[in-house]
Amino acid sequence: MSTQLKYKEEEETAGSAPATARTITVAVAGNPNSGKSTLINAIAGTRLHVGNWAGVTVEKKEALFEFGGRKIRLVDLPGTYSLSPYSQEEIVARDYLVHERPDLIVNVVDATNLERNLYLTVQIMELGIPVVMALNIYDEAQEKGYRIDVKGIEEMLGIAVVPTSATKKTGLDELLSRALAVADSPTGSAPRKLNYGEDVETAVDYVAEALERNYPSLLERYPKRWLLLKIMEQDSQVLEKVNLADQGFLDEALHHLKRAHGEDIESIMADVRYSLASGLTREILEKPELRQTELTEKIDRIVLNRFLGIPIFMLAMWLLFKLTFDLSAPYGDWLRAMTEGPFKRWASAILTPLGAPDWTVSLVNDGVIAGVGSVIVFVPVIFAMMFFITFLEGSGYMARAAFVMDRTMHSIGLHGKSFIPMLLGFGCNVPGIYATRTLENPKDKVLTALLVPLMSCGARLPVYVLFVGIFFPNNSGTVIWSLYIIGILLAVFMGLIFKRTLFRGEAPMFIMELPPYRMPSFSSLCVHTWEKGKHFLFKAGTYIFAVSVLVWFLLNLPWGVEHKRDSYLGQAGAAVAPIFQPVGFGTWEAASSLITGVIAKEIVVGTMGEIYAPKHGEEKKEIPTLKEDLKEIVTSFGEASVKAMKTLLYLPQPEEKEEDQGGLKLAIGGAFTPLTAYAFMVFVLLYMPCVVAIAAMRQEFGTWKWAAVGLLYQTALAWGAALIVYQGGRLLGLGG
Amino acid sequence: MIPLGLLSAGENGEIVEIMLGKGEGVSGAGQDKTSVRVEEMGLRIGKNVEMLTNGGNTILLRVDEARIALARRMAMKIMVRR
Repeated sequence: MSTQLKYKEEEETAGSAPATARTITVAVAGNPNSGKSTLINAIAGTRLHVGNWAGVTVEKKEALFEFGGRKIRLVDLPGTYSLSPYSQEEIVARDYLVHERPDLIVNVVDATNLERNLYLTVQIMELGIPVVMALNIYDEAQEKGYRIDVKGIEEMLGIAVVPTSATKKTGLDELLSRALAVADSPTGSAPRKLNYGEDVETAVDYVAEALERNYPSLLERYPKRWLLLKIMEQDSQVLEKVNLADQGFLDEALHHLKRAHGEDIESIMADVRYSLASGLTREILEKPELRQTELTEKIDRIVLNRFLGIPIFMLAMWLLFKLTFDLSAPYGDWLRAMTEGPFKRWASAILTPLGAPDWTVSLVNDGVIAGVGSVIVFVPVIFAMMFFITFLEGSGYMARAAFVMDRTMHSIGLHGKSFIPMLLGFGCNVPGIYATRTLENPKDKVLTALLVPLMSCGARLPVYVLFVGIFFPNNSGTVIWSLYIIGILLAVFMGLIFKRTLFRGEAPMFIMELPPYRMPSFSSLCVHTWEKGKHFLFKAGTYIFAVSVLVWFLLNLPWGVEHKRDSYLGQAGAAVAPIFQPVGFGTWEAASSLITGVIAKEIVVGTMGEIYAPKHGEEKKEIPTLKEDLKEIVTSFGEASVKAMKTLLYLPQPEEKEEDQGGLKLAIGGAFTPLTAYAFMVFVLLYMPCVVAIAAMRQEFGTWKWAAVGLLYQTALAWGAALIVYQGGRLLGLGG
Repeated sequence: MIPLGLLSAGENGEIVEIMLGKGEGVSGAGQDKTSVRVEEMGLRIGKNVEMLTNGGNTILLRVDEARIALARRMAMKIMVRR
């Protein structure tokens, strides 16, 4: 092990450089809900995701900063209860620790749940990497009347222990100073080797001898004690990697241990580690006699009540949508006015004097600004929704939603935990699909990921908002809500079908931790809203920009095409259009938009923006000056904010004059009827997941198989559902 | 000694036996081990737990200061002494 560390140092300092120039890599490990993410946020102030349900930090996140004149790289490991290889988080965490060998591990421990947290500590110490313990949530432990002997932990484990409170930002500087001191200490302050009892230690020694004799190179490649223990436990992942030719020595090594304690080595080892953790807890922790009922428990009694649980959940969802739309709509309108007015005028004003040919002006105005602009309009809605979803996560309610929905989820062969990826899917399907890795069972993962795209994501909203604004201006909220409900009902329906076909078998077991309720800080909410929403902005800046340009070309080629229907895109749309005849929108315009919408569903709107773009030349009479434009932008933003606040507070608003609807709205109003518009929205809701979601499924499952299944079933479902809506509507005499 | 799943809300019990076999309940890769998972979450023999909510097919327990939600089917295989 020591050779390993030395080698690493040499590599990083290039031999002779002073030790202070070296970047210190600190891995942060701890239980879910130990406040690890909050701690890292408080230290690094970087944009790390803070959440409350199990396994929120599935992705490895890093922060590079300076402290005490030293460069520190923090690596946030997934929150785990142990380092066994049973879940993806655990494998990620332990692979990082074993193979990347950080200089130091900061072990975040929840001071109010010492025993369980120390179980992980015991396992971390096996790695032989220096450990500093952040005894987190220390303030709450004190409030509860816990007396923790910090010095005692230090002495018994031989590691530095610093009480911290991530939420109150106390103890953080001391934690970092101690970490630096430990990382710099020349003797290599590896944690103490804990004694696992005579029977185990004898077996460990036996394995060590056998390895030294036959596989000496192995002991240099891995942390020694960890490797010995894992080989003893017959950890399948490790055995596969080290590939021992002869495992005969194991039987002999374990012979006595098994005879004394039973056959199951893994359980024996878990018991040994756990008794160390609970023994230590007994030594250093004094709890008050009487335990007070906590606020969290009082809230839970209501929120998780058998009868109130689901109504409260529904209410929470309704509030989420209501706040999202009420708050964001005025800003969306403001952005629309910006892109349709000043931006296009400015582009022409800049390009025309430069001698740009007409087609360039058209590319910029009708292609880029119309395409990207019509999508950018939805940034406020998406950010608002992400903000409230983040709030639900951060407050701890999201995990309760999983608990409450467990019964319902059972009916479709999933348990409540699968509900979290689905809920995230409402923001964006892609993180929803990635969140399926918090599920332990591969079957659940696939089934959940297949159903997530039926959750109506933020990218579909632009389509709804556009159509609803034209056809259902008086019931916009209800109509959009109905689409979300259709998605959910079809998820239940498809879940039942999948359960009976592709995924037969018992519904899996459910176990999860419900974190205490916390009030997330406004700054962390903003940081994480940005984290989630920025993908949408980047998509608008890259994909949607590129597709807008491409669509413009496809709409204007072959060169000099007179009518857009004769363009390449128009021809492709016209070729596909007959498929959509029975479902009510067999026009080349609709078909072309759907084709491009495969890249990302919001592009449907962008393409429509380009297809239906009003011919220019019909410019307004008087063109405002730049100064007037800027003034208008600022004042209208102020008006939008006032409006948002008023809506929120239910203040009466002046009746809105139906302003000029804009060319796009007029054109669509002529091309669809309310019925076909609804069928079209249903189709957009359901048809194949966007390419990013498909790529995510490919990445998660390592095969195209499930992505293909998703693509096929959804497209068929979309067509079928739209058919029922359209033909059913006609039968009911709703008009075609 | 009664199954944990039969404690009513507010009752306490000490875990005396966990009858969840390895691999029991969780189908799939064969690596999923319910008993291991349950124990890692702090539900171990000798541990005192309090039933917070009992109703429906998921129950809620308090173990130290953690709240653990658990399928009833699993709770029926964990024996406690009141």
